[in-house]
Amino acid sequence: MSTSGQDRPFADGFMDDYFAEADEHMVAVRRSLMTLESALGSTLPPAALEDLFRSFHSLKGISAMVELREAELLAHHMESCLRAARQGSLTLTSTNFEVLVDGVRMLEHVIAARRASTPPPSIDAMAETLEALGRTGNEVRTETPTANNTRTNEPASRSGGARWWRVTFVPSPQLVERGVKVDTVRARLMQLGAVQNVVPKVVPGGGISFEFDVATNDEAQLAQWHDDGLSYEPLDGPAPAAPAGAEPADAAVVERPLTDLTLAGSSNVVRVDLARLDDLMRLVGEMVVTRSRLEDTLQRIEAHVPFQEWRALQDHNGRLERNLRDLREGVMRVRLVPVGEIFRRMPFVVRDLARDNGKRVHLELTGQSTEIDKFLVERMMDPVLHIVRNAISHGIEPPERRIAAGKPADGTIRLAASTAGEAVILEITDDGGGIDIPSVAQRARSFGLVVPDDGGLDSRALLDIICASGFSTRDQADRASGRGVGMAVVRDTVEGLGGTLAVESRPGRGTTFRMTLPLTLAITDAIIAHVGDQIFAVPQTAVREVVEVDASLLSAFERNELMPYRGGTLPMVRLSHVFAMPAAHRARHHAIVVGSGQAALGLIVDRIAGQREVVVKTITDPLIRVDGVSAATELGDGRVVLILDVAALSRTRRQHSRVITGVSA
Amino acid sequence: MVRAALGSLRDATFVEAGSGLRAIEVLGMEPVQMVVLDLNMPDMHGLDVIRFLRSHDRYRDLPVVVLTTRGDESSRQAAIDAGASQYLTKPFAPSALLSSVRELLDARVSRRR
Repeated sequence: MSTSGQDRPFADGFMDDYFAEADEHMVAVRRSLMTLESALGSTLPPAALEDLFRSFHSLKGISAMVELREAELLAHHMESCLRAARQGSLTLTSTNFEVLVDGVRMLEHVIAARRASTPPPSIDAMAETLEALGRTGNEVRTETPTANNTRTNEPASRSGGARWWRVTFVPSPQLVERGVKVDTVRARLMQLGAVQNVVPKVVPGGGISFEFDVATNDEAQLAQWHDDGLSYEPLDGPAPAAPAGAEPADAAVVERPLTDLTLAGSSNVVRVDLARLDDLMRLVGEMVVTRSRLEDTLQRIEAHVPFQEWRALQDHNGRLERNLRDLREGVMRVRLVPVGEIFRRMPFVVRDLARDNGKRVHLELTGQSTEIDKFLVERMMDPVLHIVRNAISHGIEPPERRIAAGKPADGTIRLAASTAGEAVILEITDDGGGIDIPSVAQRARSFGLVVPDDGGLDSRALLDIICASGFSTRDQADRASGRGVGMAVVRDTVEGLGGTLAVESRPGRGTTFRMTLPLTLAITDAIIAHVGDQIFAVPQTAVREVVEVDASLLSAFERNELMPYRGGTLPMVRLSHVFAMPAAHRARHHAIVVGSGQAALGLIVDRIAGQREVVVKTITDPLIRVDGVSAATELGDGRVVLILDVAALSRTRRQHSRVITGVSA
Repeated sequence: MVRAALGSLRDATFVEAGSGLRAIEVLGMEPVQMVVLDLNMPDMHGLDVIRFLRSHDRYRDLPVVVLTTRGDESSRQAAIDAGASQYLTKPFAPSALLSSVRELLDARVSRRR
């Protein structure tokens, strides 16, 4: 019965599969819980109960396979609860529901502990509570399957006088491709009315068909599904047909779509270890470098090769370049995952925090299918969580204050994702009170930051203050919003990934945080600049513009040089100075303007050499790590070029200056 | 997980079905040579799926490995009576599933010779 000890190593090989599959089921569990919660107190959607039951059942099975007993037991008890709830012997009151939610959370902890190879939490008390809850329904549970595909002639009492139809569904691969399968057809019919029997039939000559007996008055709807492989005919028998106009009153409720279907479960999915994709991307990168070497060689030999031959070579090279670009895009696309991965934890977080804070919050998600590099998704999880937490604990007002301000009692937090060219934009908007600027300004002063006396802060200066390390308007840290290190970490993370963070606060109406992130990191377009005999690359996502600098207009201030810039001043940094290289004294330089707001900075270089696609190779060796340099790349001629870490450069400068002036653009 | 356990079967393609009805639907469309079936499924019980398969010529000889959480002799007997080719009780070792499936596939190949 129990798995033998020698099977352990064999099972260990499946842990990754287990975690991946458990994650999928947990996502489905959360989705079902949210759907059920919104229906508590009225008729619970049978489909959600069914889904939840199945998820627990599957979790139990896979947990048993890897001998994760605690998870198996919890899933088992919750499965029993759901079985009871489906059979109607257990009513899911909000108290019972909370028990389930706690059980799910415990299950998550158990799985997380296994993943981290730490001892599991004690589940005894929770298991007992769940067991007691599940027992309520056990006496009606039948172990022997009933042969429910023999036709009974008893009309189901719940048909409520509707007419009975024999609906035949003939599946086909084309229909499956459109998502029309026997399961979805059954679900549809259950929405329409009572479904009595489902009988599979072997079609002579090949294939399968299914016959459903359905009680409904909505014949028109049945007719509309003709193109989905459904045909129907009336069944004789107990059908004192109700007048066609007498639609059941709850039809509207039943047909309400389940909240979260856009986050469709994955079925036709291949799971690949991210490291393999990294390898693939690295290989593509090497090919890009090799090809640009080829191109350089081609330029060199042009004069020595007969034109016809050279031309042919050049053609091949051109084709190779296009192929490589396609290949690169293909590999990049494989790495893209829907942003929904970040979003789908949020309903739980919002729900818990709102409850803890005594607030009522409604969460809106849009653009979940927007795709972003897997690497970025994992790193954006915490920043997004942090901002959402802040929105609930600081942004959204308590219900009574909202009502007094003429707003709906329920606050709304909106998470939106969208693409803009090569960037992905994540927006987190709340309709709370906005950032309390006077209190932020006061707090900033007490911190020793210089704030204009009128307290007028533009959005960039505001962002600088709330992102200053150690800043918090709360005197006491609460569970939700930490100790003021949070926003600093958020900004560093976003900028470290080559993105930007912006905030917009509308007093009394709410706050929006906007993160703009590059679609992928491995290969990027960059501006190539010369400083002395060194070449640097600056990722184009970080570059705002390139300007010409008249050395006579530069003025020194503290340890910086400033340049008049769009009606304000812009701090300038000489790269030759940063990297201790001999400075070239010339009257005119070029500067690359990077970052925004307080983080805006002009990087003075000698010459801009152009723009090109570079393969980013992160420098990890601590011996050769230099502040201000994030990575290296190789140009076609084999020269190594350093890629500047713009975020670090502006951070270094910020530490030298504690003046909040803000560059007004 | 089941799929992972069977991952080392070379040249095998897997089709997943989330319910008994869906399993039958797949059988109608794909050339399936082997079924690994959970008894406790929504929509249609695993035993009913087996009974359906066994009552039609086309599927009479299709090997079916049954997985279930119940290990008692009666449900084992019920599955065998219904026509299951093999019966595994959860929790089972992934290697046990793999060897059952291999055995059935080999038997099928040798029968055809």
